[in-house]
Amino acid sequence: MTTKQVSKLSRRHFTALAGAAGALSLIGMRTAHAAGPVVVGTWGGDYQAALQKYIATPLVDPKNYKVVFDGAAESPRKVKLMAERRLPRGSMDVAALTASGSYDMYQNGAIDKLDYSRIPAAAKIPANLKTDYLVPQYYTTRVILFNPSKVTTAPTSYADLWKPEYAGRVGVIDIQYLTTIESAAMAFGGSLSNYEPGKAKLLELKKQGVRIYPTNEAMAQALQTGECWICIMWHARGVLWQNAGVPIEIAVPKEGSVVYLTGFSIPKNARNKDGAYEFLNAQLDHSAQAGFAKDLGGSPVVDGVPLPPELAKRVVYTPAQQARFMVQDNEYLAKNDAQLKDWWDKVFKG
Amino acid sequence: MPASLVTITFLVLPLLLLFRYSLSSFVPGQFMVDALTLANYGQAFVDPYYRNVLAKTIVMAALVTVLCILLGLPIAQFLARTQSRFKSLLLLCIIVPLFVGNAVRAAGWMVAFGQQGLVNQLGLATGVLNAPVDIMYTPVAVLIGLVSVNLPFVVLTIQSVLEGIDRSAEEAALSLGAKSFETWRLVTLPQAMPGVLAAAVLSFILAMNAYATPMLLGGPGFRMMAPVLADEILVKNNWPLGATLALLLIAVTTILTLIINRVLVRVRRRLGS
Repeated sequence: MTTKQVSKLSRRHFTALAGAAGALSLIGMRTAHAAGPVVVGTWGGDYQAALQKYIATPLVDPKNYKVVFDGAAESPRKVKLMAERRLPRGSMDVAALTASGSYDMYQNGAIDKLDYSRIPAAAKIPANLKTDYLVPQYYTTRVILFNPSKVTTAPTSYADLWKPEYAGRVGVIDIQYLTTIESAAMAFGGSLSNYEPGKAKLLELKKQGVRIYPTNEAMAQALQTGECWICIMWHARGVLWQNAGVPIEIAVPKEGSVVYLTGFSIPKNARNKDGAYEFLNAQLDHSAQAGFAKDLGGSPVVDGVPLPPELAKRVVYTPAQQARFMVQDNEYLAKNDAQLKDWWDKVFKG
Repeated sequence: MPASLVTITFLVLPLLLLFRYSLSSFVPGQFMVDALTLANYGQAFVDPYYRNVLAKTIVMAALVTVLCILLGLPIAQFLARTQSRFKSLLLLCIIVPLFVGNAVRAAGWMVAFGQQGLVNQLGLATGVLNAPVDIMYTPVAVLIGLVSVNLPFVVLTIQSVLEGIDRSAEEAALSLGAKSFETWRLVTLPQAMPGVLAAAVLSFILAMNAYATPMLLGGPGFRMMAPVLADEILVKNNWPLGATLALLLIAVTTILTLIINRVLVRVRRRLGS
């Protein structure tokens, strides 16, 4: 536009142009509002690193968002969600939770019912893996890990941990108190809705000199050094520890394969719900699902994720294996978690 | 006035909120439910588990304090009296560990205390041990970890008081025929008692409220109050009982600190006379 043309600009034209400019700036504001930081409350360490590597950096950040992680264990995250649930704006946009953790949070009004029309990628998730409030990310099952040079006959049941020849070499993990009591219950007359029979059997294991390790990492070290020969653990962890050179093999207990599933929910008071839905969609992308299978040993939740055959053989469950899947009773856990932890601390460890 | 405002905002109000929480009740699956009940206090006092944890915490804090004073006094005395040109360097050696967080230091001890760790390897190599011993997740590991955390505070507190003591009194005692230990016991120590008192109180409070060290080195086998009350809130989601235990810990620490203060003031008077 020349100077001459500008000088000829009528008031009507000027008003029209100003209006158009204003409208354009509003479009810009809408775009800016849709982007911005997306705070993801998640487990730290390898898990957070994989989220950054496979989801945030390649898939979400390029869309004008900035994923920020708030790393912690699940329990403190649940406490934070509960503490903030009555505030108009919370500190997280996305919360990584387990199936039972998300049930707790939904029952207590801390997380939203999801709008699946905004998560088109979720269409490829089998219906039994998703809930109204949690989009799954990956899953694995509970198994028995054992050192084949010490435990020469592969275990077939959780009850094998009670064999006298393994006395003093069986390890349990303090933070896995629920799954340990649950496994004992499954082997000795209890069920996923009744852990009580497991308690007496665990006291027998205690008498046999069970070793209690504080974390999964401490257990890996104990298996590595031969201090511990056999333990209950997640299949995905077993795969990772095998990759790291820990001398273990994986055995599936005849009691069944209890599924451990993690995923993402949106807190009711999330500040950036657009960003949250963007993240939920991105984590279901085939590249992200394949990355998590490779780095964390979990099974993808989306159908048709291309994996190298060797990896697929180790982490993807066959239909026959899937038929033996068992799901925890979330209602039972919500009502009994505290008393089971009490028992664990006061009686089992006491 | 601004100081009072800060104190009320950041200390008194949170404590009041904690007190209110402690009167609420816990319903599994519903977390904290509004109520006005003393049931949590009843549980904290009656349940042998919490009494036992509190007793273990008090004994551990007392042991750590005694050990820190016994180890810290001679180090502080040496640092205060040395004429070495390396005095600043020696002081730096005491200060540097404070730059490293408790959790990181505890992680270092974890490496040393493992079955294949430095301590066991040294023990086996020198023939002191026939087989590796369990040090991790025992009270011994927590004791060593807490002493290592508190010792620099104790040394620096006592050393700063010793630096301020006029040496002419010690010289007078020595010139009148007192032996070195007598001079230290009858002249130096009574004057250093305010520093010892402050160091003991500091060490005791730090040990009573320690979280990272007992959590990492005590593990599942040895629990102290701070990790237990954190578990109530963070793992069991039982905020009312967690708040009650927190208030109980604050109250017990305050009362015991006052008692230690009185006892050490009496000791000081006795030494002075």
